[in-house]
Amino acid sequence: MGRYLPYMAFGLLIVLLVCIGLFADRFVLYLTMRVMLLSIFALGYNLLLGRTGLLSFGHAAFYAAGSYGMALFYLHINPDPLLGILAGVGLAVVASLVIGFFCVRHTEIYFAMLTLAFGMMVFSLIWNLRDITGGDDGLVGIGRNPLLGFSIAKDSQYYFLVVFFFALTVWIIHRIRSSPFGLVLAGISENHQRASFAGISIKSYRLAAFVISGAFAGLAGSLGAMLESNSDPFSAHWTHSAEPVLVSLIGGLHTFSGPIVGSVLFVVLREIIERFTQNWMLWLGIILLVIIMGFRGGAMGSAEQYLARWGRKFREESAS
Amino acid sequence: MFKKGLTRRDFVKAGLLTAAATGLGAGVLKPTGLWAAEAKIKGPVKVGYQAILSGTLAGYGEFHKMGVDMAVEEINAAGGIGGAKLEVEFRDSTLKNPEAIKNARYFVDSWGADFLAGVDSSGQALALAPVMAQLDKPLMVTHAATEKLTEQEVFKNGVKQIFRICTPTYQDGNAAAFVAKDLPAMKWATISPKYEYGYTCWGMFKDTLGKLKPGTEFVAESWAPFGTTDFRAHINTIMDANPDGLYSVEWAGELITMMKQADQAGLFKKIKHVMLPVGAAMDVLEGLGAEMPDNIWISGRYFFLYPDNPKNNEWVAAFQKRWKHYPAYVSETGYSSIYAFKAAVEAAGSKDTKAVIEALEGMEFDSPAGKRVFRKEDHQAMYSVPWGLTKADPKYPFKIMGKMVVIPPEECFNRPPFEGAASMPPFKS
Repeated sequence: MGRYLPYMAFGLLIVLLVCIGLFADRFVLYLTMRVMLLSIFALGYNLLLGRTGLLSFGHAAFYAAGSYGMALFYLHINPDPLLGILAGVGLAVVASLVIGFFCVRHTEIYFAMLTLAFGMMVFSLIWNLRDITGGDDGLVGIGRNPLLGFSIAKDSQYYFLVVFFFALTVWIIHRIRSSPFGLVLAGISENHQRASFAGISIKSYRLAAFVISGAFAGLAGSLGAMLESNSDPFSAHWTHSAEPVLVSLIGGLHTFSGPIVGSVLFVVLREIIERFTQNWMLWLGIILLVIIMGFRGGAMGSAEQYLARWGRKFREESAS
Repeated sequence: MFKKGLTRRDFVKAGLLTAAATGLGAGVLKPTGLWAAEAKIKGPVKVGYQAILSGTLAGYGEFHKMGVDMAVEEINAAGGIGGAKLEVEFRDSTLKNPEAIKNARYFVDSWGADFLAGVDSSGQALALAPVMAQLDKPLMVTHAATEKLTEQEVFKNGVKQIFRICTPTYQDGNAAAFVAKDLPAMKWATISPKYEYGYTCWGMFKDTLGKLKPGTEFVAESWAPFGTTDFRAHINTIMDANPDGLYSVEWAGELITMMKQADQAGLFKKIKHVMLPVGAAMDVLEGLGAEMPDNIWISGRYFFLYPDNPKNNEWVAAFQKRWKHYPAYVSETGYSSIYAFKAAVEAAGSKDTKAVIEALEGMEFDSPAGKRVFRKEDHQAMYSVPWGLTKADPKYPFKIMGKMVVIPPEECFNRPPFEGAASMPPFKS
């Protein structure tokens, strides 16, 4: 039973998403897409933070690489959406390879600062290369052409493409986490000296995790560019890099579903608060603080602990 | 084969026909006179307004809100719009594009807005264009100044849902050049923000002044990144180039900082002609107070002492009484945006998007800033804002415009089709 639980949860989630796609109004659809994009971003990111134990403050750069890669490809080369996404992810992979190569030599605060510096370098590049990136205006006019003959111009149609990529991301990240590769990453996070004594090339593994997380950031970015029909320079800013960190923390760093739950909480809570007060930043901050400090291991982490305790109690009672 | 009398089927048919005719009759014979006037516009008229309400520029959002709140209070006290109540909801635009898009979608799809207004940054305005086409509700831009919005999105791409009530970059670049041509200055330099707005305005200024006064030289450019607090290096670059005039579209807090540091460096003793296209913003004038030097050319999107007519003076007095502040330009554009919607809805007799857009196109209406006309082609409001020289006045705790120069918008705004030199001033006719 326990073995199949994740698959059942996954199936239920997809059914729920499809139902939202079929029956919900346009604003709910849009918010759900924003949640899914943030989830894709954070799921990839958490492979680096939760699994490998590396705190990066520069992943917005790869999100922006995906977004601008998609936009530039659309505007100058080919308006096909799939090729555009491919171009966006490709650019993000290249960027994360180059940046990752320099960053994974270090850990902890040095790693965090290096990624922050590289991230802001990408931001200022985007800001200053006006002829290519449109400067602070960003790139506008990204349309949604038919995909393999199916129209995705309407939000209700595009939604299902996002659901597809979201499901794909969940599946791939799950496979990676339970593969030998994912276990090595966890091993490095636990004790990197021991891992290197065991003959593991730590740097290559770290770089691989870095590039994979960068690729998913790029996927989220290119899907985001199509959703909003523009590329925004601030998507490369460090404040945007903080989002997957926050979301992973809220949901639970060491759980698989943490980033998804965190994304839902982050977007929905803010939406609710904004309806009551213009001072939403303060209230969201307070609530996030309570979640992070009050629920050890994030929302999903403490839920797991609670369930485990409850399960043990239940078993003890039924045994006596 | 003949049937006698009415069959049952015929009977049913006849019944249905009668019922249909009755229904149709009621529809065709609409109530007229008093009854019709009451039921003209259904339900409340809802306007979703977004402006920057957080961070260092939150003051701008507050000024937007003051103007809009006043318009709402006045209109509802006087019976609403065509008998319907007016409702406005505010949201923080945060200056980020995805937030602006989310706000617009929330307003239309979740809150049920009939109209949208606000928007501070140019990037946001451009990002909103395709969204507005999709949501199909009119958006009245009250602060973002990029000419690309009206030239590209409205005129070329046909996003007819967008209108702009404030002056665009033409006021900052072109109109400044018309003022500069009469000054005894042949060498100009700039310190401007290192982003699209700065580049565009300086480009327009150079281009138009170059045509108006051949032989003018542009000797130095210094671009200050967003968030600059130390302008000394920029000031030194400009002073080394020894120009006759300085042109700067720095704005808000950064302009205040720059002016203070330029004064310390003795810039105003050396450079006699200084032009600040957004220097007449109330936050800058109040922020600098007596430290604003005299004889600086300033302008904005509205200045509370212009036009000197009863409508404007009464409005400024009412604003002063209500908020204990002089109206900032975003207060005026926010206030007038609500009245523009009111006028359009009442002219169209409906709040339906298509009807309101048709009513707004070419519409002329009176506002505190004077008579405004929405140009049909690009939906840009045509109205004049003065350029003026700063001077002290014992009535005010800050510098005001003394001598004023008004460049008519017909003379300094780019014209459709926005292609080639013929679309840009100076115009022959």
